[in-house]
Amino acid sequence: MVLLGKVALGIVGTAVAGVGVLCSEGMIEVKVVERQPEVHHVYVIAPAMLVPIGMHFAPQRKLSHAAAQIRPWLPTIRAALEQLRESDDLTLVEVKEPGEHVRVAKQGGSIVVDVEDRDDTVHVSTPIRVISSTIEQLAASAPSI
Amino acid sequence: MRKQLGGIVMACILAAMVATAPAAMAGPGERYLHVRVEDAAKGESVNVNVPLSMAEKILPAVNKGNLHNGHVTIGSAEMNDVDIRALLDAVRTAPDNEFVTVKEKDQDLRIAKSNGNIVIHVRDGKKGGEKVDITVPMKVVDALLSNAKDNELDVSAAIRALSDAGDALLVTVEDATEHVRIWVDSKSASE
Repeated sequence: MVLLGKVALGIVGTAVAGVGVLCSEGMIEVKVVERQPEVHHVYVIAPAMLVPIGMHFAPQRKLSHAAAQIRPWLPTIRAALEQLRESDDLTLVEVKEPGEHVRVAKQGGSIVVDVEDRDDTVHVSTPIRVISSTIEQLAASAPSI
Repeated sequence: MRKQLGGIVMACILAAMVATAPAAMAGPGERYLHVRVEDAAKGESVNVNVPLSMAEKILPAVNKGNLHNGHVTIGSAEMNDVDIRALLDAVRTAPDNEFVTVKEKDQDLRIAKSNGNIVIHVRDGKKGGEKVDITVPMKVVDALLSNAKDNELDVSAAIRALSDAGDALLVTVEDATEHVRIWVDSKSASE
């Protein structure tokens, strides 16, 4: 009975530690509401750490192509992300048109994109830390010159 | 009674400290560049807010075209052989004055130095014509010329100077339907 308790404790401990590690980079949140032609709700909240893990499974050829394109802009992207991480929460860009509203903001360590028009509402929130680590991983996959 | 009063005073001081802590913890005097474009006829508006410290750090990282390490290189061909540095330096050292005044039937142009700013006004006299007002603090002009080589302007230093220059309305452009405004202040949102 005591042994069973220890095994159960070990399993629960491992599971909690695993969830903790997975969530350590924050969560990616995607919310989509389609109003036309039919109403659909999609809500996904996933550990941000899955993105760099998922990068390992992306085709190397396509990653290399993307990395080559991003390479000249790496210092700029790094500087921008570092400054964004340190800045207070703010709305970076907001565009309003009749029936449309787009907002890109820094909110609590994440970049949040909200798009709302007559047909859809889209909300995407991505931690800045995971954007940084994904960019670095992409840069590392560039073919050496 | 005195002990109770002391306790209440201490509680008030603590509450005040807690209430003011977020303001004290916020970045020391961060300033923001705001751009707002509004089109009343179409009901459209665009707002862009950029912390100046961010712009100052990002600019040196951009190396593309004429922009390198926060400096813009100006080719003589682009300026029709006008020495832009000499021109700016002449304006910088001149006393407050009206440099250019052009009055035409439908258009007025005025370029002046006033209260430590370079001021440019353009008025289009036609119905619904454009009104342009540009104000550039002289400190920003100084910074543009400060650390750059002869054919360069130091944009990073200019941004640094802009953030030290206080709240400033830099550009307004108005016509019958459109309104463009560029300004610097310490608010993170454009209001």
